[in-house]
Amino acid sequence: MTTLALNKIKKSFGNLDIIRGVDLAIGSGEFVVFVGPSGCGKSTLLRMIAGLEPISGGELSIGGERMNERAASERGIAMVFQSYALYPHMSVYKNMSFGLETAKMPKPEIDKRVRKAADILQITHLLERKPKQLSGGQRQRVAIGRAIVRDPKIFLFDEPLSNLDAELRVQTRVEIAKLHKDIGATMIYVTHDQVEAMTLADRIVVLRAGVIEQHGTPLEIYNRPANRFVAGFIGSPKMNFLDVVASDVRDDGVSIDLAGRKARLPIEARVVDGAKLSLGLRPEHIGTDETGGLDLGALTVVHVEHLGGQTVVYGRLVDGQSLTVALDGQRAISAGSTLAVRIAAENCHLFDEAGDRIGK
Amino acid sequence: MSTLRTTERPAAGGRFRFGDSLAGYGFLAPWLVGFFLLTLGPAIASFYLSLTDYSGLGAANWVGAENYVRIATDDPRFWTAMNVTFTFVLLSVPLKLIFALAVAVALNRGLAGLSFFRAIFYLPSLVGGSVAVAVLWRQVFAGDGLLNQALNALFGFEGPSWISNPSTSLYTLVLLAVWQFGSSMIIFLAGLRQIPQDMYEAASIDGASKARQFLKITLPLLTPVIFFNAVILTIDAFKAFTSAFVISDGTGGPIDSTLFYTLYLYQEAFTNFRFGYASALAWVLVLIIAFFTAMSFLTARFWVHYDD
Amino acid sequence: MTDAALSTTTIAPRTDTGEPSVSPWKRALLYALLLAVSFLMLYPLLWMVASSFKPDSEIFTSTGLVPADLTVDAYRRGWSGLSIGFGWMFFNSLVISLLVVIGNLFSCSMAAYAFTRLRFKGRGFWFTLMLGTLMMPQHAVLIPQYVMFLKLGWVNSILPLVVPKFLAIDAFFIFLMVQFFRGIPRELDEAAIMDGCGPLRIFLKVILPLSTPVLATAAVFSFIWTWDDFFAPLIYLNDIEKYTAQLGLRTFVDSTGTSDWGSLFAMSTLTVLPVFILFILFQRLLIEGIATTGMKR
Repeated sequence: MTTLALNKIKKSFGNLDIIRGVDLAIGSGEFVVFVGPSGCGKSTLLRMIAGLEPISGGELSIGGERMNERAASERGIAMVFQSYALYPHMSVYKNMSFGLETAKMPKPEIDKRVRKAADILQITHLLERKPKQLSGGQRQRVAIGRAIVRDPKIFLFDEPLSNLDAELRVQTRVEIAKLHKDIGATMIYVTHDQVEAMTLADRIVVLRAGVIEQHGTPLEIYNRPANRFVAGFIGSPKMNFLDVVASDVRDDGVSIDLAGRKARLPIEARVVDGAKLSLGLRPEHIGTDETGGLDLGALTVVHVEHLGGQTVVYGRLVDGQSLTVALDGQRAISAGSTLAVRIAAENCHLFDEAGDRIGK
Repeated sequence: MSTLRTTERPAAGGRFRFGDSLAGYGFLAPWLVGFFLLTLGPAIASFYLSLTDYSGLGAANWVGAENYVRIATDDPRFWTAMNVTFTFVLLSVPLKLIFALAVAVALNRGLAGLSFFRAIFYLPSLVGGSVAVAVLWRQVFAGDGLLNQALNALFGFEGPSWISNPSTSLYTLVLLAVWQFGSSMIIFLAGLRQIPQDMYEAASIDGASKARQFLKITLPLLTPVIFFNAVILTIDAFKAFTSAFVISDGTGGPIDSTLFYTLYLYQEAFTNFRFGYASALAWVLVLIIAFFTAMSFLTARFWVHYDD
Repeated sequence: MTDAALSTTTIAPRTDTGEPSVSPWKRALLYALLLAVSFLMLYPLLWMVASSFKPDSEIFTSTGLVPADLTVDAYRRGWSGLSIGFGWMFFNSLVISLLVVIGNLFSCSMAAYAFTRLRFKGRGFWFTLMLGTLMMPQHAVLIPQYVMFLKLGWVNSILPLVVPKFLAIDAFFIFLMVQFFRGIPRELDEAAIMDGCGPLRIFLKVILPLSTPVLATAAVFSFIWTWDDFFAPLIYLNDIEKYTAQLGLRTFVDSTGTSDWGSLFAMSTLTVLPVFILFILFQRLLIEGIATTGMKR
């Protein structure tokens, strides 16, 4: 069941188009992550849903009702801000109860809700404190608590983890995922961090320059990126792109010419012979021991990063194109040496000159 | 002073446009009423009055530019007032600036007790405009006042009555103004704090002497603050009133030696009830101040250093 | 200055001296110099206070600070030196100053909120005009204002001194508050919008409670400047029973001439006393208030 629908949503500041026609339907209980580089419009889109930013065109509906003109507080949503935006002069309790008091909810009901939320978030012992006396992680919880007490249909998160240190970020990420499971509300989450997107989302929406580039489950997006941009944005280390030339195009596949090395890929490609394509290879899919698949030739190692669980090798292929390889475990590889690298054919992605994916 | 950023996010959603304007003008209402009733309206009225012979009673008869002509050609007291005021401005403002800057630089050396000194130096600025201090000044610079007592005790020097001597009376008022250098000093101190410390470190490594650092780093980077202080102090100096009024019993004496422009304006308006003429005087003062301010801003780009 | 504005530590003393090369004796010299200058500057004020406790004969013979013969006679004489007691005038001053404080806080904070937080057509235009009035000398509007108050029958009452303050006539305070409000994160307003607040509730429940430092600064400055003001009471108050302390002191000067410095000093000391007390209590706020006005941003 759809709770939130965006229909040709547009946003412009003067002549500048920030959001250029977004269509999206979000199901009840879904966890959707908006991801994209800074300036892609993801935060603006979220703020339009929240009611903090006027909508220039299109329709926003929640629960089947048009919301464009509704005040933020009447949309049945709650928002967790990037800076938490806790009221510095109010206690934790008051921060959480303030919105309910504004809505003139009876005191006992407010108290019940605040205590319940505090219990869920394990901040009951902090209720009388002021935000100044809390750690970053505790503030984050209060900000979430302030959202929970409103019992919203939809939670909005605007980069809520960006102010936390690395360790806390992982911990809070897990907690948010758990929270979603526990209360089952619809959540929309904005981040520029693709790891957050992959780990939290039921569905990822990748935005660029005010347009949705692709949306789908994390694995769909990882396995079948719709274009070079999405392919490069999701996955770490970043996907490699090699210039190749297509030949022998038939229904069952296409041959590619990679600096003289020919290989056949089982990808249904509607391109002409001689078309210049981009071959996308995820670093973690490239190996040194495989026997079958696509032979990429010898890789001259330029630099090696030993991460302990993984060894990341930066090098150049025979024709001079750069290639990054992520190998499992610890490998005794040093700069200057050469490696024979291969990749399984099913892990190859092809993109045409416009950057769009070729084949399914 | 910066103006509002124009790229600010809108405060709320689309339909609030009208509501927002309503709220905006609602909150601005007191100021708007005040602006029209107490500033813009009176400013226009005052210009109109300056072209009449209004006395506060009866009708305001149109006299055209006569008041202005009389100011320029037939009013020796106006020229006396101009002379006194300009002497006061041109002496007190630079002296105050120099004093404020010197003390601020001295205090900025990381001395312990900074807040103590800062408070002491600021106190005169806070009380300086009061009648009490004017009364005090009257005694200190009187013939048998504190200053002459001290001079007599220390050097056996019999000083004159500084206040009642026309050739020195104005300087006692200049001194009173310079005594109140504290608020400018505080602004200088805040300005000095904005100068990044690493600039001095880099200069030291380059072998620049302290004096050179002051001339090549401190002074240029402080020019916006110097400019701000200079403009504010100049405007204030043109408006000086209370001390001259109290010390001279409202006459501007002895023999008009402390006849500040504002004092003359007050006498014409509220002693002689020449509202028309006083309005013309007021507009001349406004023009003089506007001219000075405009000149400051015009010359600013030749000597004021802005980062952006 | 997001945080600076909220924490009011803008100009706290610098901890890194940055000039380790200042030799100890140079430092001592600097201290001596600063102490000497501050002593010289404060001396007249201290002497005035000291003299108010001296018998009249001693004022013109002693430059010292310690009265040989401590007496409060001068206070007794001064307090009832005019046909109306000074106490009454202090009360007048207090009433006017407090009303001005209320007026300024009320009207200037509203204007500053509109200028910084609300979007409406013409905001930039009005803001520029407001900055313009900062520079404008009051003399340009003085006479028509007087005529207007005269026609309203307000002259010889406190209304001309108080009512304009409820109309945000002191642009300086608007400017001061604008500077401070800009430092309050906008996300707080947005959080309040999400919590269902309209502009009025955001103003009352979020902006004002967070602005106590600047409100206090404006209040103290308002009070002191009104307390010390001489010009406006001089023009608008005619009857001695309506006089402020400043006017009373000046009238006292006229009536005693230079015959009774003791009681003049005593009354002078009393008029300065409230300012001095406020200065002691709030000097940090006052100094920071002055400092921020001079700063760009």
